[in-house]
Amino acid sequence: MIMGMLLLAACSEPPSDDNRDVYRHSEDEAPASLDPAQASTVYSNMVVVNVFDTLYRYKYLARPYELAPNLAAGFPDVSDDGLTYTFRIRSGVEFTDDPAFPDGTGREVTAHDLVYSIQRHFDPGVRSQGAWLWSGRIVGLDEWGQNGADYAAPIEGLKALDDHTLQIQLTAPYPQLVYTLAAGFSALVPKEAVEFYGREFSVKPVGSGPFKLTSFNSALATFDRNPKFDRGVLNLADEGYRDDLHGTYGLQALDGQAYPFVDGLEIHFIDENASRWNSFISGEVHNVMVPNEQIDRVLTSKDPIELNDDMAERFHKHSGIEAGFVYGGFNMADERFGHHPDPDQDAANRALRCAIRDAFDWQARNETFYFGLGNVFPGVIVPLVPEFDADLSRRSVQHNLQSANQALDEYGWRDQLPSMSYGMPSSVQQRQMFEQFRAQVQEIGFSTDQFSPESFATFGDFSRAIKNRELDLFFLGWSLDYPDAQNTLQLFYGPNETPGSNNFNYNNPAFDALYEQTLTLQPGQQRTALYRQMNQLVIDDCVVISGLSRTRVHLWDKQVRMLPDREILGGFFMRFVDIGNESETAAMSN
Amino acid sequence: MSDPGIILPAPEPAAARLRPERTSLWGRALDQFRRDHAAITGLAIVAVFFLMAVGVWFGWWGTQWSQALGGRWEGPSGGHWLGTNLLGQDIFQRAVYSTRTAFEIGLIVAILSTLLGGLLGALSGFYSSRWIDSVLLWLMGTLDSIPFYLFVAAVAVAMAGNPWAMHIAMVATFWTTTARLVRGEVIKLKNLEFVEAAHAIGLGQFRIIFRHLLPNTFHILLVQGTIVFVSAIKAEVILSFLGLGVQDGVSWGLMIAESTQEVLAGQYMNFIVASSFMFVLVMAFNLFSDGLQDALDPRRAPR
Repeated sequence: MIMGMLLLAACSEPPSDDNRDVYRHSEDEAPASLDPAQASTVYSNMVVVNVFDTLYRYKYLARPYELAPNLAAGFPDVSDDGLTYTFRIRSGVEFTDDPAFPDGTGREVTAHDLVYSIQRHFDPGVRSQGAWLWSGRIVGLDEWGQNGADYAAPIEGLKALDDHTLQIQLTAPYPQLVYTLAAGFSALVPKEAVEFYGREFSVKPVGSGPFKLTSFNSALATFDRNPKFDRGVLNLADEGYRDDLHGTYGLQALDGQAYPFVDGLEIHFIDENASRWNSFISGEVHNVMVPNEQIDRVLTSKDPIELNDDMAERFHKHSGIEAGFVYGGFNMADERFGHHPDPDQDAANRALRCAIRDAFDWQARNETFYFGLGNVFPGVIVPLVPEFDADLSRRSVQHNLQSANQALDEYGWRDQLPSMSYGMPSSVQQRQMFEQFRAQVQEIGFSTDQFSPESFATFGDFSRAIKNRELDLFFLGWSLDYPDAQNTLQLFYGPNETPGSNNFNYNNPAFDALYEQTLTLQPGQQRTALYRQMNQLVIDDCVVISGLSRTRVHLWDKQVRMLPDREILGGFFMRFVDIGNESETAAMSN
Repeated sequence: MSDPGIILPAPEPAAARLRPERTSLWGRALDQFRRDHAAITGLAIVAVFFLMAVGVWFGWWGTQWSQALGGRWEGPSGGHWLGTNLLGQDIFQRAVYSTRTAFEIGLIVAILSTLLGGLLGALSGFYSSRWIDSVLLWLMGTLDSIPFYLFVAAVAVAMAGNPWAMHIAMVATFWTTTARLVRGEVIKLKNLEFVEAAHAIGLGQFRIIFRHLLPNTFHILLVQGTIVFVSAIKAEVILSFLGLGVQDGVSWGLMIAESTQEVLAGQYMNFIVASSFMFVLVMAFNLFSDGLQDALDPRRAPR
């Protein structure tokens, strides 16, 4: 009996971290790959930016987002014509020790590693998902890939001038270039590890970031602090600290100290909202993004967002609109409802798409699945970027059955509506979203059988079906890679059609011409005006049912000093996380 | 004064006295089944559910299961007898429509696995100790050794969202039990005189299997069919809950899966209604199945 009690007592103890400070983070999905060339999801990026180094990162606290040098020694020198960028890289930075290196000791990170890392995206054997960031932009890079991807062959526009200097020569000015070097796709990988691990590199990453991966599976990734990582001290003022916004989080105590602060990191991938929430409440993980079904229980007010007393006493809160949006898209390559060579049929197809869009009720979607916290906006320029137009007509996001029915009658769609497939990853919420959508289009004459759901076991399968043009309609989310409307508008650029990022296969020469015009423009009124014209074309052509930016409500244990963020493919904040002791926490609560 | 230690037999009803005693297996089974009140109750409940499913098939009711007819999480009312779910869909209509889903899956899986199990079991039994039997026994052993839900998940992934993946996986695993039972019965039957007589007059092997042996295993197939029917309904609920089941439409499993989020928000109707419908049908089918098994059990035959 005594043994039994001892066993029970042992089982009820929280997991021991051997007195190490370990930050236990929760995410709602696991990454499919940890190779930067495949880091297309926030989940992959969350790990990648902590294991690998990027030249730049986003400032911890500054909003709107601002870039800061990371591996780079500063911002680049840019030639007067905007075509040549010269980057200086910190010296003395080393990869973590790993059997992939001779003697198992990590060597110094050089500019040659960045050249290699960007080259990999254009190697057909790598099947990169991030090549679109630089495709057609860097002199000779696309041709290098097309000519067999010989890593020994020089590339005119991508050169390491010495071990610590990189020069990039552009085909045309590309104002977003520096942003792309903060994305996980641009992370520096050592050639030795890629060759040593081969396909296993996607689960055994070796980098020079603040943490070193020690284990990874679909439920948990664990990390140790990288003892070689040295970026100096945290300067809160430089990171955008504001006492009125961040004063209650206890960050002041960290000012001037060397980071990362924790000894280890765990990222728990917990798909089920209920499990994730329970893990948070029971203290197994330190943070959670509040699931929708808990919103009413946790908040006393939605505008402004306020926690109830119990929650406010136990946890820190931060809320903000996401840097991205959710939308529904049509496959425009399908002549039944997309582009059609016959102008009359093309116009009729457009009317059909507009009718479906007008039948969709964003308000209901927001109330049902986002508890009214979402921000519904017209078009595809999201509220978080500077080019957003708050005065744009909201006609395209209004539930308007009269207009939808009128369009169907006018173009003779009545009684001959096409059958369409609706793709989704397999989950209860996705199915409910589909059922809500189907109920709405039934109001304009679609029968139950005309919209058939096609569910996929994994998001990867779903994504593959979109890329293979197997789905007529799909609802997706998009998280910005950088805070510039170009990042969403490129989703509609004709040459980016699938398997590229243009999942809609939208092909409008007028749009493409405007897009190409903006590529070389620096931020300013002229570029913003062109962006807005492109946005209007997408709205008028009813390519997309858009959109809604979700409001995230983050909660975290008061013991943890941090400001969590997963926007702009986040994850950089983890190097600044600290676990305070209990007396400090009590002092903060008071 | 009567002796309290002697129990007098109750007088036999006149109708029973007049009814001739049945001697065939089926006749005796019918008599036995009629006397089993629990089984009759079970059958009546199954019949009500079946009528409900037929009504959905013919479009008499449950037609608005997919439409948002009310507001979110409305309580029971005249308009929505059992309230509405997160999307404002009528929970009663969805539960009724799910009856059709349950019967479709139950019937398809029960019929196919009984046919397959009966056929392969008869072949295995008739050719026992020969290579056909060895191959079939190996196949049954192999299929039985794979965990059911793992097998279904593998089939579902391999068939990439095919709506028949669940049916195929169920039939592929459920037929083996039927086959084993039929095999045993056929081994017993094939040594009886009527089969030897059939051999003696020169009947072909397949004629003996299909005309003389299989019909004599019908009582096993019938009972096994009802057991598979219930198993299929229960499996569908679990598989749909796991996202591996019904791809289009609605089922009790999907309703329970939806309710997992709703229960956290304090809304229980979806869960209670779907669970209750499933519980009542499965219980009724079990009562019916038990009664049928008892009635068809040769060991209960009067001496």
